[in-house]
Amino acid sequence: MTNPPDAPIIQTFGLSKRYRKTTAVDDISFRVERGQVFGFLGPNGAGKTTTIGLLLGIITPTAGRFELFGGATAAELHAARGRTGATLKTPNFYPYLTGRDNLRIVANVKGRDWAEVEQALDLVGLGRRAKQKFKAYSLGMKQRLALAATMLGDPELIILDEPANGLDPEGMREIREIIRGLGQRGKTIFLSSHLLSEVERTCTHVAIIQNGRIVRQDSVADVTSHGVASLRSADLEALAAAVAEYPATRWSRQRGDRLVAELEDGDLAAVNAWLGGRGIHVSHLALEARSLEDVFMEATGAADVDDAAEPGGTSSSDGHRLGEIS
Amino acid sequence: MMAAAFRSEMRKMWKRPATWVTLGLFGFITFADLIGTYRNARTDPEDPFFLPDAWGEILGDEVMVGFIFASVLVILLVAAEFSWRTARQNVIDGLSKTQWYSAKVLLLPLLSALFLVLRVVVGGSFALAGTDLSGGTPLFGAPQLSALGGMFVTGLGYTSLALFASVAIRSSGPAMAVWFAWFAFAETLLVGGLGRLFESLRPALRWAPVMTFNRLRDYIQYDPEALRRAAEWAAQHDRPVPEPSSLGPAFAGSFAWIAALTLLGWLWYRRRDL
Repeated sequence: MTNPPDAPIIQTFGLSKRYRKTTAVDDISFRVERGQVFGFLGPNGAGKTTTIGLLLGIITPTAGRFELFGGATAAELHAARGRTGATLKTPNFYPYLTGRDNLRIVANVKGRDWAEVEQALDLVGLGRRAKQKFKAYSLGMKQRLALAATMLGDPELIILDEPANGLDPEGMREIREIIRGLGQRGKTIFLSSHLLSEVERTCTHVAIIQNGRIVRQDSVADVTSHGVASLRSADLEALAAAVAEYPATRWSRQRGDRLVAELEDGDLAAVNAWLGGRGIHVSHLALEARSLEDVFMEATGAADVDDAAEPGGTSSSDGHRLGEIS
Repeated sequence: MMAAAFRSEMRKMWKRPATWVTLGLFGFITFADLIGTYRNARTDPEDPFFLPDAWGEILGDEVMVGFIFASVLVILLVAAEFSWRTARQNVIDGLSKTQWYSAKVLLLPLLSALFLVLRVVVGGSFALAGTDLSGGTPLFGAPQLSALGGMFVTGLGYTSLALFASVAIRSSGPAMAVWFAWFAFAETLLVGGLGRLFESLRPALRWAPVMTFNRLRDYIQYDPEALRRAAEWAAQHDRPVPEPSSLGPAFAGSFAWIAALTLLGWLWYRRRDL
């Protein structure tokens, strides 16, 4: 198997999974490049775990296809999974075996030396509890054991599904540190989560999935810092009307003595020229940083709920109503 | 990779308390069964217990109890992997579905042999204690070897049915219930019912899986000397005299069912998402 070295690590093409009447994953396409820490964000039941299951070969797609490390045939995907470490949602181990024995099973499957098991246990801080049975572990310890299993064999791609699920803040911080460390070592990480802060603090790129469809994907920096402009003018009403008509406006809203608007291209010079052409002179024009939570709420439509409580949002030219959480 | 998968199976089996509980229980049952026979033999010269004649007792119906334990263990080892989702994790970790299933299939001969050997070792030890080793009679020969082969295939049959139930039902309790129901009465009821409805099907229905496997469990069919003694005893006691029967079709039918159940289990397992 000779896949191109610069091929995306993960690439999906219209991937879908339907269960009788339910569509769990609906025509999703995304790509993850080497070295990215890719956050896969979505509410519970959005289709995150199903998507990962499809990539890992434990769920068969009903439509579409995907490539791992540039390979798409059964043999290539099997080989690619040998370069991947993954854990799906809850840590899955043999309850009657110790942490060490469980990792030895994983090492056998991955064709790795048992010496690596001790290193992996130490890395996640379970070296001293390795003799304890898995069923006696706390949830945090189980999650850490799952991370250790994932890292066995030094995989190039690490797929983690809700790794901080059910953890206390301290446990979440520990997991975040481990993931960050892996990212710094140049690993490609695909991290599914519904915890916005976790993704914002950990990931370089993000895709937001809702009801089985990807509604937004970009680098975290781009989705949080680009596109939302803050504008002020003596005649705020005229400014609002003009901005609403501007072709690149996705949505706009008055906030205090200024107007905030998301621009598709984030091009402040262009919007300034457009407003100038209509005789509107702005006294303040700047891009605003947003939190990932803002982006998520807006992309998943959750902001509609808040819009109702805070009327005044305007619709963009294509009639797609979007809101903003402040 | 297959070797690694099988090594993992061995480790899981070795460390699983259920393995030792089932082996211990069967060992105890065998011990309790044969110690009585051994004691009787010491006090009653009419009821001897020595090799090679004792093989008929050692490889009697109680061997099937061992295969029932082996089947229960197969279900516990395989179906639990779905409840714990380790079946899924093993595939995520790098086993192909084929390798995962093949490793489970390898458990069938291993466990069948393990329970058979336990019976032979415990029973053989008792019988050996009462055997006059200076007699020069071979203690183990071709008939016993054939009988062991037949019993082993019966064990494979029972456990392949257990494997099929495990991958089809994916939960230990229900899989055990279905396996036991089929083994104990469902097949008989079904065959009886279908036989009444479709008379022409009756000859074929006699080859239902458990019935086919059970054709191989009669020790006297492997040992002409034991068959002669059984016939003599039956004639003296006004009982139906056992007839020799050809074991070839029973072996062929058993192998066909074992292959069919294993293949069907594989197709079922492969078709469904993990």
